[in-house]
Amino acid sequence: MRLDENEGAFTIPEFGKIQFEGFCRFIDQGLMEELHNFPKIEDTDKEIEFSLFGNEYELAEPFIKERDAVYQSLTYYSELYVPARSIRRNSRKIQKQTVFLGNIPLMNSHGTFVVNGIYRIVVNQILISPGIYYRSELDHNRINYIYTGTLISDWGRRSKLEIDVGERIWARVSRKRKISIPVLLSAMGLNLEEILDNTHYPKRFLFLLKKKERWEREEYLWSREKAILEFYKKLYCVSGDLVFSESLCKELQEKFFRQRCELGKIGRRNLNQKLNLDIPENEIFSLPQDVLAAVDYLIGVKFGMGTLDDIDHLRNRRIRSVADLLQNQFRLTLGHLEDTVRRTIHGATKRRSTPQNLVTSTLFKNTFQDFFGSHPLSQFLDQTNPLTEIAHGRKLSHLGPGGLTGRTASFRTRDIHPSYYGRICPIDTSEGMNAGLVSSLSIHAKIGDCGSLQSPFYKISERSREEHMVYLLPGEDEDEYYRIATGNSLALNQGIQEEQITPARYRQEFIVIAWEQIHFRSIFPFQYFSVGVSLIPFLEHNDANRALMGSNMQRQAVPLFRPEKCIAGTGLEGQAALDSGSVAIATQEGRIEYIDAVNITSSINGDTVRTESVIYQRSNTNTCTHQKPQVRQGECVKKGQILADGATTVGGELSLGKNVLVAYMPWEGYNFEDAILISERLVYEDIYTSFHIVRYRIEICMTSQGPERITREIPHLDAHSLRHLDENGLVMLGSWIETGDVLVGKLTPQTTEESLCTPEGRLLQTIFGIEVSTARESCLRAPIGGKGRVIDVRWINRVDDSGDNAETVHVYISQKRKIQVGDKVAGRHGNKGIISIILPRQDMPYLQNGIPVDMVLNPLGVPSRMNVGQIFECLPGLAGNLMNKHYRITPFDEKYEREASRKLVFPELYKASEQTANPWVFEPDHPGKHRLIDGRTGAVFEQPVTIGKAYMSKLSHQVDEKIHARSSGPYARVTQQPLRGKSKRGGQRIGEMEVWALEGFGVAYILQEMLTLKSDHIRTRNEVLGAIITGGPIPKPDTAPESFRLLIRELRSLALELNHAIISEKDFQIDREEV
Amino acid sequence: MIRDKISVSIQTLRWKCIESRAYSKRLHYGRFALSPLRKGRADTIGIAMRRALLGEVEGTCITRVKLENIKHEYSAIIGIEESVHDILMNLKEIVLRSDSYGIREASIYIVGPRNVTAQDIILPPSVKIIDTTQHIARLTKSITSDIRLQIEKNRGYIIHSSNNYQDGIFPIDAVFMPVRDANYSIHSYGSGNEIQEVLFLEIWTNGGLTPREALYEASRNLIDLFIPFLHGEEQNIDGMNNKKGSNMLPFPLSHVLTDTGETKEKIAFKHIFIDQLELPPKTYNSLRRANIHTLLDLLNYSREDLMKIEHLEKESVEQVLEVLRKRFAIDPPRN
Repeated sequence: MRLDENEGAFTIPEFGKIQFEGFCRFIDQGLMEELHNFPKIEDTDKEIEFSLFGNEYELAEPFIKERDAVYQSLTYYSELYVPARSIRRNSRKIQKQTVFLGNIPLMNSHGTFVVNGIYRIVVNQILISPGIYYRSELDHNRINYIYTGTLISDWGRRSKLEIDVGERIWARVSRKRKISIPVLLSAMGLNLEEILDNTHYPKRFLFLLKKKERWEREEYLWSREKAILEFYKKLYCVSGDLVFSESLCKELQEKFFRQRCELGKIGRRNLNQKLNLDIPENEIFSLPQDVLAAVDYLIGVKFGMGTLDDIDHLRNRRIRSVADLLQNQFRLTLGHLEDTVRRTIHGATKRRSTPQNLVTSTLFKNTFQDFFGSHPLSQFLDQTNPLTEIAHGRKLSHLGPGGLTGRTASFRTRDIHPSYYGRICPIDTSEGMNAGLVSSLSIHAKIGDCGSLQSPFYKISERSREEHMVYLLPGEDEDEYYRIATGNSLALNQGIQEEQITPARYRQEFIVIAWEQIHFRSIFPFQYFSVGVSLIPFLEHNDANRALMGSNMQRQAVPLFRPEKCIAGTGLEGQAALDSGSVAIATQEGRIEYIDAVNITSSINGDTVRTESVIYQRSNTNTCTHQKPQVRQGECVKKGQILADGATTVGGELSLGKNVLVAYMPWEGYNFEDAILISERLVYEDIYTSFHIVRYRIEICMTSQGPERITREIPHLDAHSLRHLDENGLVMLGSWIETGDVLVGKLTPQTTEESLCTPEGRLLQTIFGIEVSTARESCLRAPIGGKGRVIDVRWINRVDDSGDNAETVHVYISQKRKIQVGDKVAGRHGNKGIISIILPRQDMPYLQNGIPVDMVLNPLGVPSRMNVGQIFECLPGLAGNLMNKHYRITPFDEKYEREASRKLVFPELYKASEQTANPWVFEPDHPGKHRLIDGRTGAVFEQPVTIGKAYMSKLSHQVDEKIHARSSGPYARVTQQPLRGKSKRGGQRIGEMEVWALEGFGVAYILQEMLTLKSDHIRTRNEVLGAIITGGPIPKPDTAPESFRLLIRELRSLALELNHAIISEKDFQIDREEV
Repeated sequence: MIRDKISVSIQTLRWKCIESRAYSKRLHYGRFALSPLRKGRADTIGIAMRRALLGEVEGTCITRVKLENIKHEYSAIIGIEESVHDILMNLKEIVLRSDSYGIREASIYIVGPRNVTAQDIILPPSVKIIDTTQHIARLTKSITSDIRLQIEKNRGYIIHSSNNYQDGIFPIDAVFMPVRDANYSIHSYGSGNEIQEVLFLEIWTNGGLTPREALYEASRNLIDLFIPFLHGEEQNIDGMNNKKGSNMLPFPLSHVLTDTGETKEKIAFKHIFIDQLELPPKTYNSLRRANIHTLLDLLNYSREDLMKIEHLEKESVEQVLEVLRKRFAIDPPRN
């Protein structure tokens, strides 16, 4: 047990801490460790010796700022310098020099990296710790239980020990192949005496040997060579005679023992603990003793001694963080470096060479570039809003190298385990294929050493009844050993001494016991949940599935123009905003000297600090980041005070949506099936207006005919589409772009033959003998839905390693999108919907004081989804709106009292109705409901309707990005059917059910058209265009379409011939036809 | 029985302002009563009035802003705390009051450092600012800035979907809705067959109009909408003495317009916009650029004048004249 004593008050650890703690561990310890392990290198003649002074490494300050790196599409890195020494034995010359090893990408203050101008984040991986795990499982006949011990190496490779029905013990190396334990043991270098001496069950081993045939026993049990040969044969299925050789032994070492049996430090510790061994911790490979002890334990398990393991328990899992991943990469690269130094040092004996000449710096650059570019755990940072950024950094993924895959993971591993309490959020996970595999860290949890997850609790001291905070590890001897109360003593029935009982957690069970017997209590009701979930007010009234959607959808909320704080919140909004780094914070106290939209200057005692604010910058996901100053010139600020609010913060609180007046009532069917109807007010008052900044890029390449050219003069295009270009051929700043306008005019050189291929080229050539243009236009055009204002044009010139000059032009277009029919909006309780209609304000139902409702939701969306929190939320919303109050409500108040939330909400409404003299706000007959009036007729609706201010956000699923139509376009290679998806200009699939629908209507011609000439009947679809243009008859498909022909071909390859034949009625002549 | 009913209807309808209050410059409140009304009538009038108040009342707003040396609204000006877009949004908030239709010009000329509020706007004579404390920008350096504004009176709201304007002109999606909210309630009194009703109308405005004016304007606009019913179908337009009425006529107007008086014709022409003439876009655009928006504007030009308009070629002029001749049987005035 770890006792991290932190007396008194606690704070929630910073949300981004998990990321930079990891990175700091790499910089502080990982680098040093690996550099320290770098060996002394000598050449073959032992003339030169090369060594590194690992503990004197230096990281240079990055020479560009993070923001410039993003701007110029560069990597934000620091240079690693290590002192090195080379000794020449013959000349007794010692050269010491600081060598430049390479670049290491640096993490910024938000826990992210900038690689090639793109924000990236390294997600923490959660995987099974190396060690041995015993289980009982059904054998392949599913009759008998067999006992197995699975040995998991540091790299995630498994090998299994098992006792079968015939009491024999095997080591299973793959699904098919298994090796008998005596063979393995003697191949690893134990002889029979040693085996028998060290086991607790010598008789069983003798029994094992007896089962073997006599000659076998005599043959190889006593000689290691024979055992290795046998092992090798079994392992690689080699038949025939093999001769023992050193190389074979080495190969086995390399391939099997190194890869499968590397335990690592953690594995060694786990194994020592489990098998009660006493092997030093730096022995990172498994030894024969381990295997023997493991077999012993397995036999013990069979006899009912020892314990079986729960592999899903968090005790048996560890977190592989940025530190470990980077350290691995670093180790690999150092290995490569070692090889290169060895190679170069050989030739360096004659030449005079400095240590710097021996090492190359490109190795590190390439490794880290590859790692950040292509490793599955280094992910493109989701920057839709600040919450998304934090949540992304706090993800724990079971996927990735050494982990599971979405297809193969079982239900058990996806399920919530009792040991998750307070460590991994039981709610927050992705939906669909990765459900349960990508989960989220709870807000209070932290990563201990060895990658274990710890959760804090209050320890209740027996004597003084004082409380102090303690971090507990998962596991039987840790938190499961104690009785941990889920609540606190306030929830007890104070009056009666006998009834001081409380629900508690003990050994993975929930029990109800007396308060005196409690060892620990939880420190915060939200302790169990992730950041996203803990932003949901009245969470306890929601079904977990909907809370999951709620937390996921908050991460998709688009920053709105003029954000608004939520009226009913949970109180964590402040920290979420602060830790996201989207607000500008005073780094020191001082007086604000100067302020404008771009920077804020403060000064104290003559030294000035300039804070640059972000204005209308593009984020990774095309949303807009922006900062607005919140301080006045001349004001004095304290350290840590907010200088500027971000795009989704107000007064330092995260605000992802808007408070709008909602009514839960049906309205002419326009809110059928989760559709939502809204008032025009949300459009014209810019309530749900968001900015989106899209980047379009074009590369200027070198072709075989010469370089491409950026120019304004493009003969192929009319002046209208070129109107925004300046004299260089780039779009002018501030121009308004419509679909199809040219953003960058570019000409690609072409050979004359190529240009002659075009009909007009040939015509010109033949008639006038004019030399046609030798270039083809390859302009960058604004795509469909790409209209907006050009806010930036960047010409990026980059010289890569091979000396090539890669030029790219980036054009940034900003769009202002108002809410429209088809956009998705959602609340925080998983109540999502699509806008179905926008009504004028006079048509909306209105309250008794004349205020029209903003949004009408379907009441039927509540009961089946069981997210009652939305109803609870909107009532204090209404009260708070009237009284100008904001509520921050801790969840799970129902444990103190029955109906506590209701008791909290209704008095607020009552107060509001009293204070503002609006009697309609609280009507005792139907509290929380109001008589609404139809704006079109003036008639009062039949039933009172629940209304209130709900906090709704607009999500990043917007029609503008999704709308798509196809008249013609690409086809799939094999089936010749149109492709799928907007990005490929695809069509809409007429699937089975759609065909049924058409059949049901009896529209034979439409159906035929859909299945042939609009899809995969190649001949007719080519002819149909001409037919439409000339007004001729539409061609009639009389042969089978391509996909049917494909089917025939596939059947033929299965040796089935399918043909159709027509037998004439008159003369019975058979007329075969090839399909 | 019948006599009773008649006696009720004989009573003249009266309206009265019960309460009128200005909570602030931007929030005016008025409460009006209309009585006596026969049972059911209050509802008829109430809902119609509420809808007319919310939808039919006109307001004045800044619709276009011209800023010098600014490429786009997503930029910042050194020495100003707000970004250009924020300044535009602050300008959108300004509540104006204007009696005249058409586009007006206003400007702001400022020298920093200081706070710029709506007070600094130099207005044309017919326009007035309601709340002069509306914040526009905060200048923190000694810079000068010249902002030109275009003011329009209209109803509803506009959204500029495309903005093909020259450099430095930024359209604002203006909201011309002076009525913030409207409500009505009905109180009945009397008993038996003599139930009578009082209609209470509550109006909140943003100050661009007082509630009383809003009430007046809404009822006038509502009446205008009913006027066509006072005339028979296909009737001569003579009886129509309101400019709005002609707006309701189906197009083309040629057969009606031939025998109307000169002034009426003019009024009618004022409400026919040139985009109804179905001219080719090029011609249309050049006419627009020359500030020709309605038929009336067009008729002020002679053939020679039209020729002088920039980018308008001879064929286009002929085309315009052809359309005028065909559809309206008008020849352009000669110089």
